[in-house]
Amino acid sequence: MRPMLAIEALDLSRVFHVRSGWLRTRRTETIAARGISFEVRSGELFGLLGPNGAGKTTTIKMLNTLLLPTSGTARVLGHDVVRDPMAVRRRIGYVFGGDRGLYDRLTALDNLRYFSELYGVDPREQRSRIAELLELVGLAGREKERVEGYSRGMRQRLHIARGLLNRPSVLFLDEPSIGVDPVAARDLRRTIAELADAGTTVLLTTHYMAEADELCDRIAVIAGGRIRASGTPAELKTRVRSRDVLELEVYGVDDTHVTRLRDLPSVRDIAVEERGQAQLVILQVDQGADPRRDALDVLDGLRVGRIVNREPTLEDAYVAIVEEAARSAAGSVRAPA
Amino acid sequence: MGRLASSARLVVVGGMLAYRALFNWTTPAMFVGTLLAAPLLRLAFFVYLGRRLGIADDRFFVLGNTVLAASFVCVYGGTMAVANERRYGTLGAILLSPRGRLTLWLGRALPYVINAILVVAFTLGVSVLVFDVELAPGELLALVPVFLAGIVSCAAFGLTLGAIGLRARDVFLTANVAASLLLLLTGANIPASALPGWMAVGRALPLTHSVAATQAITEGSGPAELLPYLGWELAVGLGYATLACLLLRYFEYGSRRRGTLDTV
Repeated sequence: MRPMLAIEALDLSRVFHVRSGWLRTRRTETIAARGISFEVRSGELFGLLGPNGAGKTTTIKMLNTLLLPTSGTARVLGHDVVRDPMAVRRRIGYVFGGDRGLYDRLTALDNLRYFSELYGVDPREQRSRIAELLELVGLAGREKERVEGYSRGMRQRLHIARGLLNRPSVLFLDEPSIGVDPVAARDLRRTIAELADAGTTVLLTTHYMAEADELCDRIAVIAGGRIRASGTPAELKTRVRSRDVLELEVYGVDDTHVTRLRDLPSVRDIAVEERGQAQLVILQVDQGADPRRDALDVLDGLRVGRIVNREPTLEDAYVAIVEEAARSAAGSVRAPA
Repeated sequence: MGRLASSARLVVVGGMLAYRALFNWTTPAMFVGTLLAAPLLRLAFFVYLGRRLGIADDRFFVLGNTVLAASFVCVYGGTMAVANERRYGTLGAILLSPRGRLTLWLGRALPYVINAILVVAFTLGVSVLVFDVELAPGELLALVPVFLAGIVSCAAFGLTLGAIGLRARDVFLTANVAASLLLLLTGANIPASALPGWMAVGRALPLTHSVAATQAITEGSGPAELLPYLGWELAVGLGYATLACLLLRYFEYGSRRRGTLDTV
C-alpha cells in the first residue's frame, strides 16, 4: 500500500520578473525553481539542503501558499496549494529563521495570543495551548517579557511556538537555527525531533549538515533551482564513499591556492571554511590517495596548522553534489547554443 | 464557537493586540504630545488667527478643528496598522492566517476609532473651556453622530493609506500629504466657499461633510437637515473601506503571483 503523502511537489517552477528604473526600464528574469519534484510521507522529517539562492525558501513559499508556482502543482495533505490555499493554511505551521516576524513591543504571551486569534485557535483552548508551548520551547517564566529584550535563540524558540499554535500536521521550518548559539541550537534540534516523534510532518531547510544528518529521515539537495540528489543521509554519503577527506588548517589561503589545490590529480572536490584567523581547507580525494605532500607544496609559504585524514560525512556529500551542480551549470553556460 | 463570535473576537481582541503591536505612539509621551497636545495647539493657532483676521467666530474654528483632531490618529494609525506589518517583517505570518481578510484588516480600525473618540472628546472639552465657547445641550447631542461619522470615515481612509503602504516603501510621506490635504480641503479652517472651485475635490475626503455638518449645527440646523451630511460622510467612509479591502486583496494576490511583498 502506498504510504499517505503529506507533501507532493510535482515539477514546481517559479520565475520572478523584476523591473527597475523609471525612464529606462530594465526587466530581469530570475528562475528560482526549475521543475522541483519530491514527496514527503506523513510523519516524515524531510530536509531540503542547498546553498544560498538555491531555491529552498521559494520552494517552501510555494508549498505554504505564500507564492504561486509559475508552473507545476503541489498538494499539502491532499489540498492543492493554488486552488485551496485556506485549507492548506489551516493545517500547516511555518517557522522562519532570523530576528523578524514577531511583534517586538508585545510580550511573548501577547504575541502568542495574537497569533492564536489569527490562526483560529479555539479561545477555550488558547490559554492551555500557549502554556504548553511555552513549556515545550523553554520560555515558561519569561512569557511576560517584551520580545524586544529577547536573545536570538529565545526569538527562534518563540517562532517555533507560534508555528505550532494551531497543532499543524505539517510544519515548515526555514533555517530555524540560523544565528542561534550551539546550546540553543541543540535544544532546537531536540524540540524538532520530539515533534517528528509525535507524528508531525516536518520540512526543514538548513545550512547545517550535522543538523540535517541528525534529524532528517530523508534529504533533498537543491542547487540552481533543481533537485540534484535525494535520499536518506546514509544514501547520500555513499556518493562519496569512494573518497577520503583531508583537512588542512591554513592561515592566509586565497583563490589562487584553491584553484591550484583543485587541479591536483587526486583531488575531486574542495571546500574552504573560515575558522577565525585561519581557514579550514577540506579536500575530497580519491580513496587511498595521499596528496598531503602536493598540497603542502601548493601552500608553501603559508602557515599550516593541523592536518587530519577522516571519513567522508554528509557535509562532504553535500559539497560534492553542489560542486557537481556548479560545474554542470558552468559547462552548460560555456556550451555553444 | 460560532463563526460570528469568532469573527468578533478577531475584531476586538485581535484588533486591540495589533494596536499595541503596531501603533508607534502608545507611549504616554508620544500619545499626549502627538494626539492630545498637537491638535489642541493647532486649534488655538487657528482660533487666534481667525480672531485677528476676522474670518469667522471661535465656534467655527473650535468645532472644525475638533473634527480635524481625529485625522492624526486615524490617518497615521490606519497607516501603521497595515503598513507596519511589512516594516516589522510580520506580513508573511499574517498572510498565512486562514481567517477572513475582511475581519482581519477592518478589525484593525476599531482601536483607532475608539482612540479618535477620546481625542475628539478631549479636544472639544478643553477648547470649549479655554475659549469660552457656548454649546447648547441640543447642539452637543447633534455633534455626537457628526463626530462619529467623521471618525469612522477617516479610519477607513487611514486603512486605505495603510494598504498602499504594503507596496509603497515611503508610505508615511503619503500620510503626511494626506494629513495636510485634510487640513486644507475639509473646510475646517477655511470656509469651503472661500476655496477655489477645483478644491471641491475635498468632498471626496473624509471629515469634509462632518465639518460642514458642525457649521450647519452652529447655524441652527435641525437633526433632519444634518442627515445628508451624515449620509455623505458615511458614504465616503464606505468608499474608502471598500477601496482598502480591494487594495489589500489585490496586493495579497499580487504578492502570491509576483512575489511583490516582503513577506518574510
